[in-house]
Amino acid sequence: MKEPLLGAFEEHNKRKHMVGPLQQIHAPMRRFRDYEEVDYVIVGVGSAGGVLVQRLARAGFNVVGIEAGPFWDTEHDWVSDEVGSHDLYWTEPRVTGGSDPLALGANNCGKGVGGGSVHWAAFTPRLHPSDFEVYTRDGVGADWPIDYADIMPYYEQLELEMPVAGPAYYPWGHPHGYAYGPHPMGGVGNALIKGCTALDIPVSIGGPVAILSGSHGDRPHCIYRGFCIQGCKVGAKASTLVTHVPDAVKTGAEIRDRSMVSRIEVGKNGRVTGVHYFDIEGNAHFQKAKAVIVSGYAIETPRLLMHSACAGHEHGLANSSGTLGRYLMAQAGNVVMGRFDQPVRMYKAPPAHALTEQFYETNAKNDFARGFAIQTVGPLPVAFGKQMIAAKKAWGWGLRREMMDYNHWATFGLLGEILPWNDNRVTLSDDKDRFGLRVAHVSFNLHENDKNLIKAAKKKTEDVMWAAGAEQVVQEARYAHLVGGCRMGKDARTSVVDKFGRTHDVANLFVCDGSVFPTQGSANPGLTIQALAARTADYLIEQGAAIFNSNKRDMATPRLRRELAPPATWGKGVPRLK
Amino acid sequence: MSKEASGLEAAGTHDLEVVRNHIREGRFQRSLSLLTAVTSIVSGLEVAYEHYRGSYSRRVMYTPVILSVLLAVAGFAGFFSKRAARTVLRWVAFVTLVDAGVGFYFHVRGIYRKPGGWRLPMTNMIMGPPVFAPLLFGTSAYLGLIASYLQREESLHADPDANEDSWLTRLLPSAAGRELISEEQDIREGKFQQQVAIVAGVSALLSGFEAYYSHYKNNFRYKAQWSPVAIAPILAGVSFASTKNRRWAATALPVISAVAAADAAVGFYYHARGVLRRPGGRKHLLYNIMYGPPIFAPLLFGAAGMLGGLASLLRRRNR
Repeated sequence: MKEPLLGAFEEHNKRKHMVGPLQQIHAPMRRFRDYEEVDYVIVGVGSAGGVLVQRLARAGFNVVGIEAGPFWDTEHDWVSDEVGSHDLYWTEPRVTGGSDPLALGANNCGKGVGGGSVHWAAFTPRLHPSDFEVYTRDGVGADWPIDYADIMPYYEQLELEMPVAGPAYYPWGHPHGYAYGPHPMGGVGNALIKGCTALDIPVSIGGPVAILSGSHGDRPHCIYRGFCIQGCKVGAKASTLVTHVPDAVKTGAEIRDRSMVSRIEVGKNGRVTGVHYFDIEGNAHFQKAKAVIVSGYAIETPRLLMHSACAGHEHGLANSSGTLGRYLMAQAGNVVMGRFDQPVRMYKAPPAHALTEQFYETNAKNDFARGFAIQTVGPLPVAFGKQMIAAKKAWGWGLRREMMDYNHWATFGLLGEILPWNDNRVTLSDDKDRFGLRVAHVSFNLHENDKNLIKAAKKKTEDVMWAAGAEQVVQEARYAHLVGGCRMGKDARTSVVDKFGRTHDVANLFVCDGSVFPTQGSANPGLTIQALAARTADYLIEQGAAIFNSNKRDMATPRLRRELAPPATWGKGVPRLK
Repeated sequence: MSKEASGLEAAGTHDLEVVRNHIREGRFQRSLSLLTAVTSIVSGLEVAYEHYRGSYSRRVMYTPVILSVLLAVAGFAGFFSKRAARTVLRWVAFVTLVDAGVGFYFHVRGIYRKPGGWRLPMTNMIMGPPVFAPLLFGTSAYLGLIASYLQREESLHADPDANEDSWLTRLLPSAAGRELISEEQDIREGKFQQQVAIVAGVSALLSGFEAYYSHYKNNFRYKAQWSPVAIAPILAGVSFASTKNRRWAATALPVISAVAAADAAVGFYYHARGVLRRPGGRKHLLYNIMYGPPIFAPLLFGAAGMLGGLASLLRRRNR
């Protein structure tokens, strides 16, 4: 091989723990003993867990984040390869069922520090103000115990911390602008713009997406090589692994990786006292804690609470309402593919870089409540091959021929709101995993509103694809994202947690992740999950020691603590117009 | 041809003659201040959206935008007031020039920080910050700095308050101080052809290289994309030759400078057309300006031609 200009490239230094090519994890990391009673144990260091660990550690609490997967060294552990990145997903056994079973073990659940944010496409639209009062407005679904004004400061804050790239003016929901400039378009984005422009549909270009369009401290900007959902080795895509966890470790948090929490222990006074977990070798441990926050996402959080059933909590911990595991939601994520005469080369851009939310809100003309968004999707060849099998029943030589044609295809994804239903739920199956724990059974069924919505959304997305100039359009039914299962609400009889994520039943047990969503909108949930985590963190910090030694529930809204953001969040970025 | 028309023509030639003489004698402070203001607005717009693309992800990225606004204001002030031209314009131009140097450092560093750094120079120059853009941004500051030392168009005599930088010369060793004073004097009298020719040559090389790699990004899809790459070295060569040879400065330099300026105008047209041809065209105009062909970049190339033209009109140092 020809020698590069200024000598050979650097070898990976095994003694350094790298997240991205430039950013290093501070060493040595603080370690707590099992018998030390820490302030907070956070179960799952993903989107929400990462933010919580960072905020609480910076505020001076003793925090341990227990994570089932590994603490990635991105330079060492990750590859820019579709198949090689399968380890980023939660691939432990699960059972899926219902009339419309969800595909699990793919990119709707993450494993390892950073969790799902490691392999999300990083689309970060906000929920609309209407999403917080779906029941009031449309008589379906549920209302949130908070409204848009409560979460808006946290949206703005997290958009700076990630930071989110997008247009300077975003017209839908509550109009706003983004901290980082929009991205250049790839072939799929251009097709979406063309199609929408032809049909006179407004379209947001170059975001909102939590991928750097300019460098940010130790994180270089995006180089548009397309391996976003394979774990961005560049470090340009925001995941809590690169945005919040490094600061958490620096400020004294411990990340205990490859440790699977099996049960939450409840003491005699009805308060939780710590968590039982298995380490990588299968040895059982017990970590004492003054309070526990579960951030295991929509399937593992209900599963862990069900595993923790004990006297007084026979149907699962914090399940006096009977709603634990219920109202699970996924979004309709049908993929519409169009073949173009000219090459599209959809790998040459982040999958997420343009969208329209023009059809987001309930429209009286429709035969369904709520709406949908249309977004760019840029599958790499393996994912594309799977879609071709599903959409065109291509197989064998025919599949090979379709895959040879990869460069000519563009794909749009619709993102449709599926309402929360009582019968969509997580339960425990009789099968057991390698630790002897019962695995989750996920049951998912579409209802009439959902079916009508998907039908209309599919039609509209196909129209846009045709308008973009496609000569052939096919589609595959699919679901994206998982939320609900532990929903928040004002009424302890119909929800699991209150508006700060505290369980109604146990005063020092919190849930903070996507499972607390009462409804989901047609926005990707990542930003909202992190914003809720920052809000919960502010609440915990405001309450201080009262969480540890009292059962009193103070429902006052906490102050937004900007000073606890990771350093270098301030004083840069595009000035906010709105 | 009627008598009247020929009279008009004579008046036209007379005006041109006046302008020529003004430039020859270094009496064009007003017009150069105005030109500084205009170029500063253009390069300010260019840097504003280029840095918007980079999301203003470092605080220092705000500085060229702020400075180009200040420089434009100072340029207009210099147009109206001699005092402003000699004080505010000079200092703002100087700070802007320093900022251009700082920007150059950060752009070099930005490329260094990319995966592979300077070991993959072409890839990283294309994907990273445009390496010479900050120096080209300094062009308008250079014009402002020169303007601050010139005489007003209406002034008939050499200024009594010359040698304003005498405090600076006192700080320097005496030989260097004398050199500075005589340089100042030469600029005031329009005898700085060589200096402008060197700047024009350097500017041509830098913007030619920028044109080369940014057109390379587009695989030189249009033959016209080769034109700045072809013209730039010729302009640079002629400019450098002009520093040695009076005849080059009087003949080849104005010709090739005019060619470069014309090419810049053509480039501006094609870039504007390219912006409108993007998906969404006029509907997403701001976005398309941002990610379409850089609409003002050809004008920066034209600035090199303009400097060459200016050099050809100036006088040479006596020594």
